Amino acid sequence: MDSAKMRLLLLMLLLIAGCGGMMDDIVPSDKDKRPAITCGITGPDVCQNAPDFTLSDTLGNIVSLSSVVSTPGVSGTVIYFTMWCPICDMHMSNMRASVLPNYPAVRFLIVDYVSGSVAMARNEELSNGYSGSGFTVLADTSQAVLDSFHATMGTTIVVDSAGVVRFNEDYKDGARLRSVLSALP
Amino acid sequence: MKMRSKRTCFLAALLAGAVLLSPLSAWAGSCCGGGLATSLILPKFYSSMVDVSVDVEKYNGYWDHQGIHRADPAGSDLQQYRLNMGYGQRFSPRWQASVVAPYVWNSNVYSGLSSRTDGLGDMSMSLWYEALDDLSAWKVRSIKDMTPSVLIGTSLLIPTGISPYDEVNNSFDVTGRGFYRLDGNVLVSKTIHPWSATLSLAYGTYLERTVNREYGNYVEPYHKQLGDRTIALFSLSYIMYFGTGGDTITGIASISQLREADATINGVRDSSSGFKKDTVSGTIVYSSTDHDWIVRMMWNHAIMFDGWGENFPSTDIYTLGVSYGFR
Repeated sequence: MDSAKMRLLLLMLLLIAGCGGMMDDIVPSDKDKRPAITCGITGPDVCQNAPDFTLSDTLGNIVSLSSVVSTPGVSGTVIYFTMWCPICDMHMSNMRASVLPNYPAVRFLIVDYVSGSVAMARNEELSNGYSGSGFTVLADTSQAVLDSFHATMGTTIVVDSAGVVRFNEDYKDGARLRSVLSALP
Repeated sequence: MKMRSKRTCFLAALLAGAVLLSPLSAWAGSCCGGGLATSLILPKFYSSMVDVSVDVEKYNGYWDHQGIHRADPAGSDLQQYRLNMGYGQRFSPRWQASVVAPYVWNSNVYSGLSSRTDGLGDMSMSLWYEALDDLSAWKVRSIKDMTPSVLIGTSLLIPTGISPYDEVNNSFDVTGRGFYRLDGNVLVSKTIHPWSATLSLAYGTYLERTVNREYGNYVEPYHKQLGDRTIALFSLSYIMYFGTGGDTITGIASISQLREADATINGVRDSSSGFKKDTVSGTIVYSSTDHDWIVRMMWNHAIMFDGWGENFPSTDIYTLGVSYGFR
């Protein structure tokens, strides 16, 4: 390769490397950059009071977070955000098999934020094999809950019986979720 | 005789290139982004080559973790478009290198939500060694005529795309996986005119990285490594000459298998992460008389029945590509 071509290639690589945010993957950081969280206020972060919401489940029942967490005998609530994709299915299957049966005092809410109606959310629940699964599927047709929790596909949140967020992460293998649920009072 | 040898070497490389340029798989624009880069192989007597192609990938459901094929949500229309730009350079008669960079547009429309995002995908750099030349003839007269072309190569996937670990708002923004991957590739091709067969094998391992952010939210740092990836592809081709100048049209049918093992998080296997996908492809390649111009059209189709994939989207990929070689 002549020097002109080499210089052009290097220039291209430098320009590409300068694109916004790319360096986060080119040179990943191991720094803990979590911002300081103000506890006790309403917000989606751990130690904050979970934003309340009211949605319809796929059977037409009105479900509010505040009423679920305050139900006697309920020690905590898991909220999982799905778009019915293969990764979502893998997470939900994993949760269904390895988490849900072991925590009978915990309520599991699945928030469908892509279906535009309760009927469509019900259709997805059925066609993806989650009818009668132990999950309560909620239709977030306006993405209001998605936005209030700053969530996306796979976001998993645990709210304790006092309405405080105890966990807010992308779902992985369920191990950390289990440890948080086991530590609930 | 020399002319025939040149043509044979060209066709072998052309077929190999057509195979490798096939977009074997991509992560779904519907959930995970993943603009991909493939590889570019120069014909024997070319010093360099430029390749531009456009992929349209349409999502048609997915296989769940048990291999059951399921439909995408009703009312959804999920597509990814990619503009792939490639450049290959020969350094010696047997050594060559290439770089391929995709630019990705994600288009996700659901009944209750729509999103359109774009960004650079993951780039790929490859180095190839031509270990054996295909000296095939129109008729097999000796065992020497059965010698295949053998290329051995290595590729590095560079995480230049937008990954879940970048500053993104949600999963719709993603155009790359966020990990380096080192592949070892072997490509064996044999032409006995007008037929040609190619076997391509690739084994890749992702490099472990630290993660301190997921979908824009900073998290407690952890180590993650995606699972090793294997790709096997077999193709059969038929070459047709037309006109008096030596233009060719080649039809290629291929089948491929993609497997990726489970990822690990802090050294512990994440059993919810591996996947597999099997596809078939049909490709038509036109080559001009002087072979400087190559035009290809490809259709890559996932078999949308149970058992042909696991934990992965099923898609149709339509590709139109043009290459120009410099002698």
